[in-house]
Formats: sequence, C-alpha cells, structure tokens
Amino acid sequence: MPKLNSFNGEDRYNFMLALVAYLQNRGSVSVDEAAEHFGLDAKYIRKAVTSINEARATVNEFEEWFFFIDIEALEDEGVLSLISNQVIDDVPRLSTRQASAIAAGLNYLATIPGFSDDADLQKLQELLAAGGSRGINPLIESRPGSAEAGAEVIRRAMISGNQISCEYINQKGERSVRSIEPLRLDPRADGWYLRGYCPLHKEVRNFKLDRMRAIQVLDEPLSAEAKKIEDFEEALYVASATDTAVTVEVQPEGYRLISESKTVSEPVTVDSSTVRAEIMVGHLPNLGKLVSRYGGAAKVIAPAEARAIVKNYALAALGEDTADQIENED
Amino acid sequence: MSAKSAEAWQPSKSDKSERLLQLTCALLFSERGLSKAELFKSIPAYIEAIRGGTSEESLNRMFERDKVDLKNTGIQVFTPNANADSDDIVYVIAEDTFVWPQHTELTAKQLQLLELAAQVWSQASLEADANQALVRLKALGVEPAASDLIGFAPRIETREPAFIPLNEAIQDCVEVTFNYRKPNGEVSKRHVQPWSLHNVDGQWLLQSFDLEQGEVRNFLLRRIVSKVQTVKVNEVESRFTKPSDEKLGQAVTQLQEHIANQVCELKVKQDSQAWFHFHLDDGAGTKSDTVTFNYMDLVLLAEELRDFALDIKVVRPRELNDLIRSGFEKVASAHA
Repeated sequence: MPKLNSFNGEDRYNFMLALVAYLQNRGSVSVDEAAEHFGLDAKYIRKAVTSINEARATVNEFEEWFFFIDIEALEDEGVLSLISNQVIDDVPRLSTRQASAIAAGLNYLATIPGFSDDADLQKLQELLAAGGSRGINPLIESRPGSAEAGAEVIRRAMISGNQISCEYINQKGERSVRSIEPLRLDPRADGWYLRGYCPLHKEVRNFKLDRMRAIQVLDEPLSAEAKKIEDFEEALYVASATDTAVTVEVQPEGYRLISESKTVSEPVTVDSSTVRAEIMVGHLPNLGKLVSRYGGAAKVIAPAEARAIVKNYALAALGEDTADQIENED
Repeated sequence: MSAKSAEAWQPSKSDKSERLLQLTCALLFSERGLSKAELFKSIPAYIEAIRGGTSEESLNRMFERDKVDLKNTGIQVFTPNANADSDDIVYVIAEDTFVWPQHTELTAKQLQLLELAAQVWSQASLEADANQALVRLKALGVEPAASDLIGFAPRIETREPAFIPLNEAIQDCVEVTFNYRKPNGEVSKRHVQPWSLHNVDGQWLLQSFDLEQGEVRNFLLRRIVSKVQTVKVNEVESRFTKPSDEKLGQAVTQLQEHIANQVCELKVKQDSQAWFHFHLDDGAGTKSDTVTFNYMDLVLLAEELRDFALDIKVVRPRELNDLIRSGFEKVASAHA
C-alpha cells in the first residue's frame, strides 16, 4: 500500500480522476472495498465523492454537472455507484514524471537476483519504454558483495516460513553461529539487509547479508512472537537510550554519513556545501570506521572522546602493516 | 496499511484540486475547446475569484499555474490555433491523454510488480510521483495478487540534493549549470545538457553533454557542490533537443567499457569481515584468498575498501593503496 503521508492538491486531483475511472471500470462497489483497494480511509473517499459531485461548469450557457455518484446508496448502504459521468471514459495515462518514477523502480527491480528473468517485469518495462519514459536507469554492476549470494536461500526460508541458521561476523570481527527468524529482505544502496527476529535477544534486529555465510534453512518454523511482527522502522539505524550524540560536519561527498544515521535535529548549513548535524551513535568505537570511510569529507566536531576514537582508528589503520598480517595467517 | 485521516482532506471552494477537476472536465466536455475568456466565465472557481475582486493579472497567473499543474500530472492542454489573436486562442485537452496503458490489461501479478516498483521510492525523492502513478494504475480495478513478493522491500536512496532538479531538467530538456568538485579538490563550473541518471553500485551518476568540453561527460551527484541551476537566456529556459536513443545508448556503452577496463585485485585475510563480504567461501571447495573485480571510480572504491583496510592487501592498481592511506591521513589530521 502506498503511504500517503501528505496529500496535496495535486494528489487529491489525481485521486478524484482515478476514483471516477475506477467506478467506471468496476461498476458499483462498497466504499470499504474501494478504501481497501486504494489504501485510504473510507472517510477520505466519502469526502472525495462530495468534491466529485460538486464538479460543474457553465459551458455554452448551460450549467453542466459532470458526475453523479449516488449519495443515497452511499449513505444508506455504503455503496459507491457512478450514475452519471459526462467526461471521463478511461484512466488518465501516466505523466512523464509518474511514468519515469515507475520505470526507474522497475529497472531497479530488474537488477535484483530473482527478478532479472521475470517475464512480467520485462513486459512492463517494454510498456513503459514504449510510452517514451526515460531518464533514470539503474546500471548496477554485480560486484562481489553486492549481488548477495544468500538472498535466494533466505527468500526460500521466508516463503516456507522457516527459521535459518548462519555464521555471522559482527562489527568487531567476532564470529558466531546463530538462528534468525527471517521477516523481510531490504536491498539497499550499501548492500542487502535482513530484518529478522532474534530468538536469543527476543527482538527484531538488522543483519547485513555480507556478514553472513553458510546460511541454511532449518526445519523449525517461525515462532508466534516473530509472526506477530508486521511493521518495521524504515530507518536501519534505530537509536536507543544508550546511544551517544555526536556532532559531525560533512561535505557533499560525506552526506551519506548523516542520511544513514539517526539525526537528533535537522542538519544546518555551515557554508555553501558543508552541513552540520548531530547524529546518534550506538557503539562509539564504531565511529572510527564510519567516519574514516569518507577520507576527510566527514569530520567529528564533538565530543572530544569521539574525536579521539576517530583519530586513533585512522592512525591504527595507517600503522598496521596489512601485508604482514596476511602472511602471519594460518 | 496506513489509513489516511479524514481531517487532512479539507475541501473548500478555493481548493486547487476542485478547480483543476472543473477545468479538466470543462475542457473535455467542450470538444472544440474553450478560450480563456470563456473559461473565466464557465469555471465556478474562476467566477468566484472574479467576484471576490481578484485582478485580471492574478487571474491570468492562476490560469497559467493551473495549466502547468495539469501538464505535470500528465494532462496535455494544447492550443490548436496558437497563432490566432490572443482572445481567440482556444484550449483543448489532447485526445490521447486518457489512454494508458495502451489498451493493455494488467494481470494481478503485474500490478503487484508495479506496486513494488512504486514502493522502491518510499521516502526518496520521487515518492509523490510514484504514488500518484500507483493511484492511477489502481483505477484499472485489478487487485494485486498475494505472492512470494511479500516480505521484500527494496528501496532506492536519493540523498543528493541535485537529484530532483537534475531529474526535472532531464524530463524537460533544459540546460543546467553546477559546480563540480573533482577528487583532487578542484572545483569548476559546468554547463551541460543533462541526458539521464544511472545508479552504479549504489552511486548516482549523471550522463550529460558537456557544452564547454563539447563531449559526453559523466558526473557523480555526490561531487556536485552547488545548487543545480537551469540556464536562462532573457528569462527563457535554454532547451535542447532530446538526444536520440542511439546517442544515449552509446553513452551507456562507453561507461560500461570504461568499467570493464578498470580492474582491481585484492588479497583478503581469511575469515575476516572482508572475507565474508566478498563471499570467498562460495566456490565449491576451491578456496582462494584473492578477489578480482571491476570498478567505476578509484576514489569511490578506496572509500568502500577503507571499511576493510585491516583485512585486505591491494595487489592492483598501485594507486588504490595510496588513496586508501591518504584518506586515513586526512582523517587523522582533521581530528588531531
């Protein structure tokens, strides 16, 4: 369902056109079914009906009322019935912008393992291309680590409703074998995540697929606790009471640090391109890695403890002779 | 499912959505089209505005804005006699406005794929357009099928402020300028015809024709360090002819060839995070501690690999190791 967080005038206009076309196509339908179909509150649909019935204009000296949706049937039986429709025969075609948003979404899906050969997806892509849509074209290279090897196994487990086991390496480099109840797969720009219920900690956790190996589908079905979970926080990083607030300044090349974090307040502009924000960091020692990746485009301002962590991490990385380390390995 | 609260809908006589609906219907109803003067006399919202003392100038502005709104939502208003005296110009809605998808019936599974494609934009810059499209597609009356697509939530991320203005300029074929910072820190102003946006390994890339260089150039959105501005000459936006599919295709091929020529080779410490990341256990029993792959941009690659700095040794290219190290040096001095 689309989440219609903010419906503006354009959205309302768009919805009224769509509702008329839907009733034209569908015939009489209960207001609850229409609400379910569009993912909207029934009250919202009733208000749209009022506006649609109000639509009129004086054309060639005659006042024309363009539509009539039966008000009595709606009030008495909760049924939407389009009695009169003078103008709209069909669904308005997608605007260039709308089509290009959908086309880009489809192109993106087509790059995901499991979708690339989907005949329906290909047909939809052709349909939109024929409509002249263009502009946004994912061209995702499959580099090791980006096309996630484990995704297929996890999807199998999700479809059959089973738990999985895997070997997991955490941010500190510690390895463990664990069970996870898989709930949702989230392919993101920086890799795939599994939203899973952790039977050990009894809560939903995010697992990065590139930290897993030897994934196996278990015979054990999902627990009742896991099945109850329906909604997820969109953000992958959820702040908790033990988090530390850290002030950072980022250049455009380091914006990602802010957008991937839980920010305390709206970022403020420092100069033409530098932005300052306060982010929440769960495990302060991780900050060294988080900040270092941007090679100077992200900078910690405060607290001093956090600055020291970043400095020491960078110095340690410089001091380490990685070649020796590998040769000393077994 | 998130249900919309009814309070958010506040229909009033001045509601833009009702005015746009009246305008659309009046134009559709009058097949020969209506002149501006006729529209001002026939649309209740305009009549009311005139009665309320709105000046002719602001009424004209309201009408111009309404036309833009209709165009943005895909309703094509055109003037068949555009050269006539301005009082006689009539406005008509193009016949093919109401024909998508072209006489095609969508199946339940196809609708579900379209829904997933729209959701890809959740909380990203094209969310509103994608949702409006989905509302229209749902007007076809097909119910999405329940299937194995559930439990799967891919998301496109567009954190660069340049994304929206560039996308609009691409759709409208308008030239733009922006300041671009190369990895060596050099900033220069660019003047381009924007062609298309691509997502390469999670990074947004603009393909464009650079008017100063006289050739196709690619720009990473994250290195654009100013606002993207449309180019205007005497207050009129500088438009360009939409590039042919052949030219667009050539630009993509060139980029792919560039990527194919850039090879990186790493030695990876066994059972480290990097070892997991590069899936070095995937081969059937044949374990190797070396991984080889292609990349687009060495500086971006250095950034990614800095995460694994302690677990890898760069075999090639030589500069990659220097870039990884110089990044750490900059971080250390910025936090000294």
